[in-house]
Amino acid sequence: MHIAEGFLPATHAIGWTLAAAPFVVHGARQVVTEVRERPENTLLLGAAGAFTFVLSAVKLPSFTGSSSHPTGTGAGAVLFRPPVMALLGTIVLLFQALLLAHGGLTTLGANAFAMAVVGPWSGYGAYRLTRRLGGGLLPGVFAAMAVADLATYVTTAGQLALALPDAETGVAGAFVKFISVFALTQVPLAVAEGLLGVLLFRVLTVNARPELERLGLLAPAPEPTR
Amino acid sequence: MTGLAVDDAAWASAWRRRSPADKLLLCGGLVVCALALPAWPGSVLVGLTALALALGPARVPARTFGRAVRWPLAFIAVGALTSVVTVGTDGLGWAPDAAARAGSLAGHALAGSAAVLLLATTTPMSDLLPALRGLRVPAAVVEVAAVTYRLLFVLLASLHTIREAQTARMGYSSTGRGYRSSGALAAAVLTRSWDRARRMQEGLAGRGMETGLRVLPEVLPSSRAFVAGTVAGLSALVTVGLLA
Repeated sequence: MHIAEGFLPATHAIGWTLAAAPFVVHGARQVVTEVRERPENTLLLGAAGAFTFVLSAVKLPSFTGSSSHPTGTGAGAVLFRPPVMALLGTIVLLFQALLLAHGGLTTLGANAFAMAVVGPWSGYGAYRLTRRLGGGLLPGVFAAMAVADLATYVTTAGQLALALPDAETGVAGAFVKFISVFALTQVPLAVAEGLLGVLLFRVLTVNARPELERLGLLAPAPEPTR
Repeated sequence: MTGLAVDDAAWASAWRRRSPADKLLLCGGLVVCALALPAWPGSVLVGLTALALALGPARVPARTFGRAVRWPLAFIAVGALTSVVTVGTDGLGWAPDAAARAGSLAGHALAGSAAVLLLATTTPMSDLLPALRGLRVPAAVVEVAAVTYRLLFVLLASLHTIREAQTARMGYSSTGRGYRSSGALAAAVLTRSWDRARRMQEGLAGRGMETGLRVLPEVLPSSRAFVAGTVAGLSALVTVGLLA
């Protein structure tokens, strides 16, 4: 769920764009360096962006009986690292705004801050912490995807609360209202997205082990002894 | 047909051959008016203008426009309703100016969404991406975005084909099977995207194109009449929106 066009006042839209800009510019610089050193990676980066967009079109069975769509930024942060996801996530948000009418142009900065900056960094932090505490790849991926999803929506609730404070209880009351409404759908979705991540990476460890080793997610398999 | 209704509408639009810069001026102006003018009558006029232009001269199918607006409509309804419910010591209640506040919020958001949809349903992404170069976005970033745009239709087609096959094999007949199928589906799409990218790179390298995908930009000249009409129309909207 992204903030729709026109929903934020102009000052907030500009403020969130300025807040997201350093992260997106940093990601763009990394991509420019990567493409300059290895031009062949342009296509891999484009494929990563397309995968993130398409992942949001995967329907997940919801515990409430309906279906939901993952944000996909947690998986992207684990696979491609948060700085690159800041740029790819922003590109995906632009495409979602212009191809699916999901989000907006003046709210692109706010949505990018929530989904392309806070989500991937929180998810990647949860992944690193889980691995450091001795968890394997799959528990790490579950933590990354669930936390990235939750962090995205907590940030969105905060952005809406700042823009639309409650008449009696102010920003804090508005935050409680928005987070409560989002929790109905987002807490089950975060768990569902974590489960999807586990199933996705379980298949990848079998079918795409060399790629995961190249990305540093799995230790190289030992050479078979003769 | 690409599989995305808004993109299909953009390629089929009567405004497809118009300059992207002209359409950006019009739609950007409408978006700014939707945000800055008072909801009544400013945002209402902006929304009606965007709708009339899309369904009239741009010949966007009403069904496509209506279906596309469902996403923002759901968010706007939930967001506007939540913002006017107050949480106090007596429990839940309505804010004193609930109707005016919700109306203003919904007015700005609906008008802005209609203006963005006017751009989206008349201008294919491949026309808009070169315009990013004019905003000093690095060429490498625009190229990654262009590859993303071209690949996502291939991956969406793969997604639908695999999902259809999984459904035919009872892959979504229970919640547990649905999760397993969704995981396998995402993994298959990711490995296919890597495989596609690798094969495309090998194909381009074999043709000596190792420094990127260079294509001839399509030249769509600007129309003075369209620009003059846009400036006059936006000026009229601002005048009526502020004076009424």
